[in-house]
Amino acid sequence: MTHLSEEELVERYYRDGAAADGAEDRHVEECEECAAALAALESDLNAVRRMDVPERDGNYGDTIWKRVSSLLPESGAVLSVAKGAELLGDREVPQGLKPGIFKWRANGTTEVAPLREKLLRENRPLLWRGLGYAAGCAVLVAGAFYVGTVWEHQQHLRQDAARAAEHATPPVQQRVVVVVLGDHLDRSERLLVELKHADAEDPELVKPLREEARNLLAANREFRDDAEKTGDPALTKALGHLDTLLTEMANGPQGLNAAAIERLQKQMNEDGLLFEVRVLRSKNPHRESAVRVLARGGTA
Amino acid sequence: MVSMGHSDGTAIEAVLAGDREAYAALVTRHSRMLFRLAYRMTGNPADADDVVQDAFLRAYQKLSSFESRSDFGTWIYRIAVHCALDRLQSRRRDEARQVSEDSDPENGVQVADAAPGPERLAQSAEIGVLQEMAMRGLTAMERTAFVLRHMEERSTEEIAAALQVSPNTAKQSVYRAVQKVRQRLTQMKVTV
Repeated sequence: MTHLSEEELVERYYRDGAAADGAEDRHVEECEECAAALAALESDLNAVRRMDVPERDGNYGDTIWKRVSSLLPESGAVLSVAKGAELLGDREVPQGLKPGIFKWRANGTTEVAPLREKLLRENRPLLWRGLGYAAGCAVLVAGAFYVGTVWEHQQHLRQDAARAAEHATPPVQQRVVVVVLGDHLDRSERLLVELKHADAEDPELVKPLREEARNLLAANREFRDDAEKTGDPALTKALGHLDTLLTEMANGPQGLNAAAIERLQKQMNEDGLLFEVRVLRSKNPHRESAVRVLARGGTA
Repeated sequence: MVSMGHSDGTAIEAVLAGDREAYAALVTRHSRMLFRLAYRMTGNPADADDVVQDAFLRAYQKLSSFESRSDFGTWIYRIAVHCALDRLQSRRRDEARQVSEDSDPENGVQVADAAPGPERLAQSAEIGVLQEMAMRGLTAMERTAFVLRHMEERSTEEIAAALQVSPNTAKQSVYRAVQKVRQRLTQMKVTV
């Protein structure tokens, strides 16, 4: 058998459980080392056992009762924390009595304790003050609720008005068109070529010309104004001639009848407009990347 | 341990019925037993008196939850163990705070001399200061377990029930306490 551990020696000293079995007894008798260890343990612990307790006389119980009874409340009384602390003086409040209110239970007691009445009387100003604070808080909460309600109501009214305005006045549907000068010149050139070969006797062929002229008119004016501002007389002049032609094509009072087409063809040839547009495209390639953003109304 | 006789049960019934003075019989009957326990646990007569008082106050507060078939002596003994345990823990916190307040930042923390000199030992030998000094290094739980086992001669099961821990935990607390007490006693013998 191996030597007894210190824990086993302690168990043996106190004769705990199975520690004091025969095998251990025999081992301790035969093993000098374990016997010495147990003897040392017994010596130390026996010395501690000699601790004396001061004697308390026969009146000790009465003394304790006087101390305890001075802290006990009247039957059925409820002590406030302040009163409990006052009663206890500088003594430590026993654990379990510390929370909020001391409730002393005494079954069968129906009498209202004088101490309770006294505490209520003494605490009445505090009670009124507490009620005042509570009323103030209630007014604040009610006021905040009222203001919140009014504000929310007004928000709803604003939203309704805005919604109604939206329905009453439909917004102007504007198209944003990004136009590149090169494309504009391409389209203008094609239009001019078609106009040059247009057959006034066929209205189905003439009608798309009028529509295309309307589509090009706004962009043409934008590019013309830009050219004027930037000091490009050739472009300004060419776009000016084109503007005149497009305006007559788009808005002529008689429409594109045979006489109007003949007049426009003659005008285009006199101005050399088709040649002018082709020259602009070939001589000013850097301009072809110029971009204009057009916001067009529904009638554009 | 004092077993609950017929008079304990009668007194408890009277108290619960509203007769506050009936509690005096319980206090006078069990006070000395509780004082011995409290003194052994706290090592201080003033603290022991307060523990006894606190135990009776707490018992009065909880008297309605006391089961009549139980032994009042055992019941209030356990309450006193807890009161003493609370007192030990509170005292330990106060001592730690005192050390903190007394500490000198330049010279480091000054702690109480754990090994008193021969003169001091001779002066206070009668009140068992050797044992008290040896037990000062124990935690509140270890000290309580050691007192109950070594001085009150309670079984491991009784200690576990009083401290509301498992028997193994109670046994380990006793073992650690024995180890520490022996080490401190050895150190003090060398010093003396």
